[in-house]
Formats: sequence, C-alpha cells, structure tokens
Amino acid sequence: MATEAGIRVENLYKHFGKRDTLVRVIEGASFEVNKGELVALIAPSGAGKTTLLMMIGCVEEPTSGTIWLGDEKVYEDKWLTKEQRKIRREKIGFIFQAHYLIPFLNVIENVTLVPQTNGVSEQEANKIAMELLEYFDIGDKAKAMPSALSGGQNQRVAIARALANKPQIILADEPTAALDSKRSVDVVKMLKKIAIEQNVAVIMVTHDEAMLPLCDRILKIEDKKVVSENVSVQEKIL
Amino acid sequence: MINLAQKDVQHTLGKFLVTAMGVGMLLGIVLIMIGVYRGMIIDAQVLLDDIGADVWVVQEDTLGPFAEASRVHEDLRDTVRVIDGVKSAEALTFQNIQLPQKPSPVRVVAVGFDPFGMVNPVSPKRMVAGRGLMRSHYEMVVTDKTGYHVGDVIRLLRHDYHVVGVTHGTVSSGGEPLIYVSLKDAQELQFSYSNNRIRTDRARGIEGAEGHMVNAIVARVKPGYSIDEVAKNIETTLHKGVFTATQERTLLTQNLIKMASKQIGMFTGILVIVSTIIIALIIYTMTLEKIKEIAIMKLVGIPNSMIVKMIAQETLLLGVLAFIFANLFSHLIYSKFPKRVVLEIPDAWMLFGVVIVASLLASLAGIKKVISADPQAAIGG
Repeated sequence: MATEAGIRVENLYKHFGKRDTLVRVIEGASFEVNKGELVALIAPSGAGKTTLLMMIGCVEEPTSGTIWLGDEKVYEDKWLTKEQRKIRREKIGFIFQAHYLIPFLNVIENVTLVPQTNGVSEQEANKIAMELLEYFDIGDKAKAMPSALSGGQNQRVAIARALANKPQIILADEPTAALDSKRSVDVVKMLKKIAIEQNVAVIMVTHDEAMLPLCDRILKIEDKKVVSENVSVQEKIL
Repeated sequence: MINLAQKDVQHTLGKFLVTAMGVGMLLGIVLIMIGVYRGMIIDAQVLLDDIGADVWVVQEDTLGPFAEASRVHEDLRDTVRVIDGVKSAEALTFQNIQLPQKPSPVRVVAVGFDPFGMVNPVSPKRMVAGRGLMRSHYEMVVTDKTGYHVGDVIRLLRHDYHVVGVTHGTVSSGGEPLIYVSLKDAQELQFSYSNNRIRTDRARGIEGAEGHMVNAIVARVKPGYSIDEVAKNIETTLHKGVFTATQERTLLTQNLIKMASKQIGMFTGILVIVSTIIIALIIYTMTLEKIKEIAIMKLVGIPNSMIVKMIAQETLLLGVLAFIFANLFSHLIYSKFPKRVVLEIPDAWMLFGVVIVASLLASLAGIKKVISADPQAAIGG
C-alpha cells in the first residue's frame, strides 16, 4: 500500500524576538509523517518540541516555510487560510500531558463538543462518542464528570475527544508524562493502534525513552533542525 | 448543541446563585430608592387630595402653606365665601408638634380644621378605626403610625385630647404622620403662650390677636365656574396669594421634592453604576477562573463566537437572576421603612432594561479576555 503523507513540513523556520533579543528555535526543518504512522518527537527541554507541534497544529505562526496537512497546504510563509481554528477542529486531534477536559462538561459532552461544533447532529455525535468510550472501556462513565474519574480514565476520555472529530492528524504533547510506566505503555500502544486502524498521522512529544520502541520513527530536534531516525530493530524488541 | 453557559452555571450553581443574590440585594436597594421617591410624590399629595379644595388662598407674596410659611386672618374665610363663584371656604392650620412618649416621642404635623365646616380633611376612606371629629374641642384623629389607638388620651399643653379616630396612610408633604384637631384647638396649640409671655406682651402693647390666625383658606368653586377665573378674581379682590389645586400640586411635587428627587436620582444612578462594575468584576473573575478551559476550547478549535456567547449568556443570566432577587428582596423589606415606599411595576421593568444593558456592558470585560486568551496557555511551556 502506498504511503500517504499526513503531515509535510518544508524548510520551516521559527524565530522569536528581534535583533538583540532574537531567538532562533527552528531553522529549516523539513520532514514528513505518513498516515498510519506513530512518530516520536524528542529533544532536550526548551529545544522547541512544543513550538514545532503548535506550528503544525496551526496555533503558533511560523516565521517562514511550508506546512501541508494531508493534501491541504495551510502555510507558506503566511497562513493560507484565516480559519486555522476550523482546520484544528476538523483535521487535528490534540492530546496533552494532562487531560485538560472541560470540568463543567461531563465525559460524553467533552467528547461531542468538537463534532457538534463541526455540525454533526447531537444524536450522531453521541453515537460516535459512545463507540469511542466503549473502545476505551469507559462507556459506563459517559455521564460522569471529569472530577469523578481517575487520571488514567480522564486521559482515555481526552484521547477519545481527540478522535471524535475523525482527525487526519493527532498531535500528542507528552501524553504519558503524568502516567505510570504500565499505563504509559498502554496509551502509546493505543495511539499506535489508532494510527493504523484510523489511518491517522500521529506525532507524540515524549521525554520517556522507554516509549520510543513502540513508535515507528523518531524525529529529533538537533541544532534547531529536525532529524528523522528509524527505531532500531533492537529497540523495537526491547 | 451543548449550551456551555448552562453547563457552567449548573457546575457552579451554588456560587452563581449566591453571587446573583448579592447583586440582587444591591439592585433591590435601587428599587427601594425609586420607591422612596415615588412614596415622596404620593405623600406630598395625600393632604391635597384629602382636602379636595379647588383654590388655596395664602399670605400675599408667599408660596404657602407647604412650600413657604403663610399666615392669614381666620376671618378672610368669610370674605372668600362671598366672592362670586365660591361654593364654600374654610380655614386650615398646619403645624409641627411632638406627641409624647408612645413608646418614644412622635413628630407629627397637626391639621386644624372646623369639624362642622364644609371641608373635612379626614378622608373616610382612610379611617381604620373610630370616627372623625365631632366636637369643637379636645378630640383628635391620629394616623396609625403614631402608635396611638382610639380611646388613648394625649396631654398637650394644658388639655387632654381624646383619640377618637385612627387613619392609615395619612402623612404630610414631608412624610411625617398627620393628626387632626379642631381649628380652635389648633390655634390654641399654636398661639397659647405662658402667663409670663402674655404679661410681657401686654406691657409692650401687644395684644393676642394672633389667636385667630390660620395658615390658609381653602375654597371650593361652584359648578359651572372656572377655577382659574375664580382664583384670579380672589387674587384681584383680596390681594392675597392664590393658587389653584393644580398649581399647589405643582409647588409640592415639582418644587418641594425637586431637590430630593435629584438626590435620590443621583444615589440610584451611582448604585446602578456600582452594580454594573460589580457584575463586570464578577464576570471578569469568573472568566479568569475559566481561562484554562477557554484556552483549551480555543486550541481544539471551538470558535470565539461560542465562547463569547457563553460569557454573554452567563452575564445576562446573572443580571436576570439578580433582578428577580432584587424584586424579592425589595418586596420583603419595603414595608419596614418608616416612610412610604411605593414599588411600581413600570419602575421594575425600567430597572430590568437597565440591568440588561448594564449586564451586556459588564460582559465586555470578560469577552475581551476571551478574545485575547492565548490557546497555547492551555498547554503551558
């Protein structure tokens, strides 16, 4: 089966400040993440992982370069659409270190909020949400408030939320940082499964080297550039 | 579609209700202030309405008897009676006196009138107990706010006055309770001096002619006659100050309480502004408390319009709830005020309009915060 690029970044630059206060974070990054692929993004703290993720997620405006999401070019030295938020809502699923669920919405409302905003009927959105919650084994918690769930359950709800809009891309910013090692492995395996089953391109920022063997590839930020590395067979076995 | 405002309010219902209650009490004070003003206007007209005169004759070059002091001779009444078009004329006195302990001294305005005359200021519809004056001396009708009852005896100067009737809602233009006595008793109460003073006055050549002074002569006009023309005729003939009932009402409602209405208007305005600022601060604080959630919503692509709608709906709901609490609060306490407080539905609706506008203005601070919220704040560094 031919691989299809979910994310394509070409010659991407990101600078903060001007003149004396100029900070160069990313300098000419170019890489691709294919649909069905789970890619780890690693780098030392402060190297620009989250900034890169936010640029791909149409949140942070790059200084220059090109970003493709699927077959849509969204950035070429400027945003090519004024509706970056619509792109986020329709194409991207976000997962964070903490679950960041809306505390005043119950589980199913958290999951259906984005699809309903996209125009999916409440009935249809609820059906999709229930399927996802069942898939993550928390179907019985649909009416519970986030405050009544454990950390692991909330993180699964957050992943369900990220998938509810049937995204082409999932951007996960240290999704396992708050979890113990067993749950971390479960979450990354789940992301891998989602990437394959739903043909989604997944980028996962992580500091946890133990998670790397579970990924298809590694993107490393080195000297402000992004370098792609394959996960060795040995690592994969580990 | 999920109503974010409804969900957020449900999540913090207790806090939201207590906040609305607090703002509602503040708005309740606004309603009470307006009610005090309305009460003043009604109070100012009670006596005018009860007397029911067409023409008021007062001391020349004065705006008496309510806006300025006025004294005319009692026999002016007889002169007025013979003016063409005058059906009846009576003399009236008005004076401040203090009734003794019951349980504490009560400051009242005493109205003196001829119990056998054609003008009786004790309106039967205001009588709640007993009867009106039927004797020339030592009877008194009091308003219920004085605390006296039928059968009570009140010592004033050298005489005991028997309370024969009790009225309700009768107050002077200044809001003090009214009592009614006969004209002769009123004149005695007003001009009865000590023996020492009488001796001193006699030595000075002053005889006690004041005993027959009154504060105003009121007249009723015969059917078919123009009140304005009769008033003009009295003024031309007698060279006294003459006001029609309409002019006297204007003097009372517009001139006498003009200052008070400005004062109350300013208080009301300031309270509305303070309420708006408080609502704005509450909404701003509530928005700040949710800023992380708002950033998350923006990050996952929820449009600003939905989030702004949430803030605006919450502000409006706060305003509406506060308005309901304001009405409950003001209706619970208005009767406890010593002076008349009149709560009118049009005033409440006007306040509702003001609250809605104020709420929308107040929501601007929160909305500005929403629009400027950085989606990246959701994830931190």
